[in-house]
Amino acid sequence: MVEIPRRRAMSGARAQVQVVGALFMREMLTRFGTSRIGYVWLLAEPLILGSMISLMHALSGSDLPNGLPTFLFYALGYTPFLMFRSIVARGSNAVNGNISLLFHNRITLLDTMIARNLMEMMVCFTVCLLFILLGMLIFGELPHQPALLVAGWFMSALLAHGLAMVIGSAMVVMEWVEHLVHPFTYLMMPISAPFYMIDMLPQGTQEMLLWNPLVSIHELNRWAMFGDRVIPHYDLVYVLAWIIGLNVLGMAGLRMARPRLSLSD
Amino acid sequence: MLELRNVWKSFEQRQGRKDVLRGINVRVNRGDHLGILGRNGAGKSTLVRVLAGVEAPTRGSIRREMLISWPLGGGYGIQSSLTGRNNSRFIARLYGLSLSQTEAFVEDFSELGRYFDEPVKHYSSGMRSRLMMALSFAVDFDGYLVDEALSTGDARFANKCLSVFEERRQNAAVIMISHNLNHVRRYCRTAAVLRNGMLEFYEDVDEAIAAYQGL
Repeated sequence: MVEIPRRRAMSGARAQVQVVGALFMREMLTRFGTSRIGYVWLLAEPLILGSMISLMHALSGSDLPNGLPTFLFYALGYTPFLMFRSIVARGSNAVNGNISLLFHNRITLLDTMIARNLMEMMVCFTVCLLFILLGMLIFGELPHQPALLVAGWFMSALLAHGLAMVIGSAMVVMEWVEHLVHPFTYLMMPISAPFYMIDMLPQGTQEMLLWNPLVSIHELNRWAMFGDRVIPHYDLVYVLAWIIGLNVLGMAGLRMARPRLSLSD
Repeated sequence: MLELRNVWKSFEQRQGRKDVLRGINVRVNRGDHLGILGRNGAGKSTLVRVLAGVEAPTRGSIRREMLISWPLGGGYGIQSSLTGRNNSRFIARLYGLSLSQTEAFVEDFSELGRYFDEPVKHYSSGMRSRLMMALSFAVDFDGYLVDEALSTGDARFANKCLSVFEERRQNAAVIMISHNLNHVRRYCRTAAVLRNGMLEFYEDVDEAIAAYQGL
């Protein structure tokens, strides 16, 4: 008989990293599929969407100020928003869709949420990096502040993660919330400034739009990418307040939702 | 140690509130082997889910100071689009086991041959349940939760399950919720009957079985 594997003792933090790691790998293998070109398909969807939208704008000859490259402008505006949208949509389903995983005592709702959203984030980061690479090769565009750009992407991921937790736990108590997720993320697009610059708008509209923390992030991203060819309007403290607020609320929500989850529904 | 104190579980139904568990008190330590008997509809599956930790009690408290298995042979968290090997790796990563040892153990125990590298959705139901059993036995739990199924497959494979279980239970806790009186008699040292949402404990297993049969 083959030897029985033994568990290794470990501390709480390491155990959590391990659980999230296991779930992440499972999520990745499931979404990649077992074929070798699975990676391609995972990236293909956001890549095709981003490229097509950007290409449409580039071909229709919409001219941006200061010689900004149209394709790159749209591609790098759209992809982080796409990430926000898919984290909110897929992440909020992680609560109800993973109940049977909770038979494994070590797994918490937060673990399933982190694993799923981390996966989504990595996919979109990769697509963004591909676009940047393309920008360097074709348009000769180097990111103005690369670290800040990554920080910007990371902020939209965290914002979406918090929101996904809030919505996911609300769905446990009120099932109808599920039907609002798609309209919400869809309607967020025009008011999040992924495709236009706040500076082009009248003062009153600018102030109204800046209530939306995503607008600040998208403005920041554009400046971090294109530098002083754009005039950014953003408030990072405001964004961080939203991120912290949504994440705290979301984690509290998951704690509240956990005892209400039932397999017998 | 696993301890349930005055655990209640209620469900909101169309006809109103139904109390399935009405004050469960039980404490299981390593080395304790407890059988729980109950008629259909007595709330056995609800109790299993509460013991497994997947559902929280409506009232009362649970103290969980040991790692309890998922109900033995259950396919929780198994992805059918992934191979047997990938699923073994998931369990290994989840419980902090060596990947190669776990793969070797599951591959050997499940007797899947080349199917070990096929997606689980291509398995027959027998192959699937052999994989589940192998995964359950791949982790050295502090406590084993047995919900009816203790073995699966043909007589030879079933015997293999029983002998591994026999070995594992030596220094682990066992909670066996079963109709199978032979299994309870053979593997449990104490037994209780689940009735009216409460556990009634008996001096010894035979007495519990007699009480259960008299229901």
